[in-house]
Amino acid sequence: MKTYLGIDVGSVTTKLALLDESNEILASTYLQTQGNPVDMIKQGLEEVKKQIPLEAEICGVATTGSGRALAGVMVSADLVKNEITAHAVAAMHCVPEVQTVFEIGGQDSKIIIIRDGVVIDFGMNSVCAAGTGSFLEHQAERLNIKIEDFGEYALRSKNPARIAGRCTVFAESDMIHKQQMGYPIDDIIYGLSQALVRNYLNNVALGKEIRPKLVFQGGVAFNKGIIKAINETFHTEVYVPPHNELMGAIGAAMLVREEMKNDGHRTKFKGFGVSQIEFQVSSFICKACPNLCEISQISANGKVLARWGGRCDMWERVEK
Amino acid sequence: MIRVGIPQALLYYQYFPMWKAFFGTLGAEVVVSAPTNKTILNLGVSRAVADTCLPVKIFLGHVISLIQKCDCIFVPAVTSLGKKTYNCSKIIGLPNMTRALIPECPIIFDPEINLEKGRYYLYQNIYKLGRNFTSNPFKIKEAVEDAWKSNLAYQNKMSDKGITPLEAIDRACQGKQQSTFDSNPAPLLTVAVIGHPYVIYDDYLNHRMISRLQAMGAKILLPEMVPRSALDAAARRLVGEPHWSFEIDIIGAGEYYLENKVDGLINLSVFGCGPDSMMVSFVEHRAKELKIPFLHLSLDEHTSEGGLVTRLEAFLDMIKRRQRIWV
Repeated sequence: MKTYLGIDVGSVTTKLALLDESNEILASTYLQTQGNPVDMIKQGLEEVKKQIPLEAEICGVATTGSGRALAGVMVSADLVKNEITAHAVAAMHCVPEVQTVFEIGGQDSKIIIIRDGVVIDFGMNSVCAAGTGSFLEHQAERLNIKIEDFGEYALRSKNPARIAGRCTVFAESDMIHKQQMGYPIDDIIYGLSQALVRNYLNNVALGKEIRPKLVFQGGVAFNKGIIKAINETFHTEVYVPPHNELMGAIGAAMLVREEMKNDGHRTKFKGFGVSQIEFQVSSFICKACPNLCEISQISANGKVLARWGGRCDMWERVEK
Repeated sequence: MIRVGIPQALLYYQYFPMWKAFFGTLGAEVVVSAPTNKTILNLGVSRAVADTCLPVKIFLGHVISLIQKCDCIFVPAVTSLGKKTYNCSKIIGLPNMTRALIPECPIIFDPEINLEKGRYYLYQNIYKLGRNFTSNPFKIKEAVEDAWKSNLAYQNKMSDKGITPLEAIDRACQGKQQSTFDSNPAPLLTVAVIGHPYVIYDDYLNHRMISRLQAMGAKILLPEMVPRSALDAAARRLVGEPHWSFEIDIIGAGEYYLENKVDGLINLSVFGCGPDSMMVSFVEHRAKELKIPFLHLSLDEHTSEGGLVTRLEAFLDMIKRRQRIWV
């Protein structure tokens, strides 16, 4: 059986999904990146390996997410794809009539506008990461509730508090102020959910024509409070696909299947043995010019696999 | 020989060959600062007031890097380039801002270029500038003529040959002929990039965006490759009488390339640019009307190029998948 592996290395979580030729998920994993993508990719591969059926043959591997270049080098991927394209492809597969995709992840949020099965426009949060998953998680921690329970609290709210949503620093001081004035925690949490959606509307979705069906994916789509707030703000039904957190990885796997078909090549995937390789990540300051760029490199068995981080491409060329 | 320092920032990309010819004919030596680097940026940021835009901060850094290397620095105040059009206040006030923020700077020559006040005012100011170098009025006239000739040659070179300002400057001033631009043998798609020259051509500021796009398989079209008259006409068709001088080139190029059906249009802008925020939305609406993909990128002092690359890749993917070009 031919299968395709998608690896989505996000800022907060690392996701892997293995699909067969009819895009059924055969194996998947969802891990916290914990600031250590190299180990998490290895651990993810281990877990997928345990789940895969015996007859499965890996015919293509793609990486996506902000850690896609690193992951691509580690596993020797056939395709390294940006997360916007991957998310769009996965959304169109799960909900064929989709016209708008909201994706809110750990560090960034996106909107993708689709018409007649083709992406025609997209937007991403600009300068700051206000109103993304990390912020919600931080606030949950501060209020001493689990992020998984965040949605339940929000749904119980009767009179949501008005929280400033433009900037997380303002939002936090607003929340503390409301909390000290005795607002119930439910109302503060739903108020925060509304603020996040308002910020999304003013920042990411500004000037975009939002038409149904609206698909909401990414880790934050687990949060029922945010779903309710989107529903109220945009007056439209919100579809959350069954594997909202895996959509990037699913899209990447679908894209590599397409690619390998067109290409006819064999996969370059190094195999699950990658999880046994010791990778060394290090960095140094390049002194070739006044820019003093910080170059980071990844190597295995004393051999440099790739380098990044320069203002010029001097270090990016690595002899194979 | 008097050494005239010219910062390689802001208006450099538009006017350097003209200035070089002018000062050269007057017998002065022209000293240009190095291309923007981390040291220059840090120098500029350490002095600038917080709410100026990044290109102005970079400009100040270039000025600081020229201290000790020249006897005077040329910072014209380009107020207006035509009837009822003006420049951004940061450009108009540039010499004064530079003087106030960098008191140790050598003497600044700051002729006001204000075509709103008519030709005579312009001649007067340039004559005054020339008098710093010679007392012979005929020499100044000759310098002006040389300057204008160089400027026309420079503009034509860019629009006729389809090359970037940096290349045209290399060819005009250093005699280099080899073109490195547009070496893509078979581009998959054509993308026009519009924005201020000091944003598009400063590779440090924009993280090598143009060469990244080319490496991704796109043929790049730039505002300087459009003939002057076509730019003016296109800008007028789009907004009537534009208020901002430099925005004419940006929105004119946007409209021109949209009409010529490019595959995609990218606006490269810096965070906090007032004129861009008003004028580029005209182009954006037009792109929507014509159903041509449009991407707005706002740059600031980010040191990581990750976010920029993701957006560029996604934009090109979007165009390719729309046209069913499979790679």
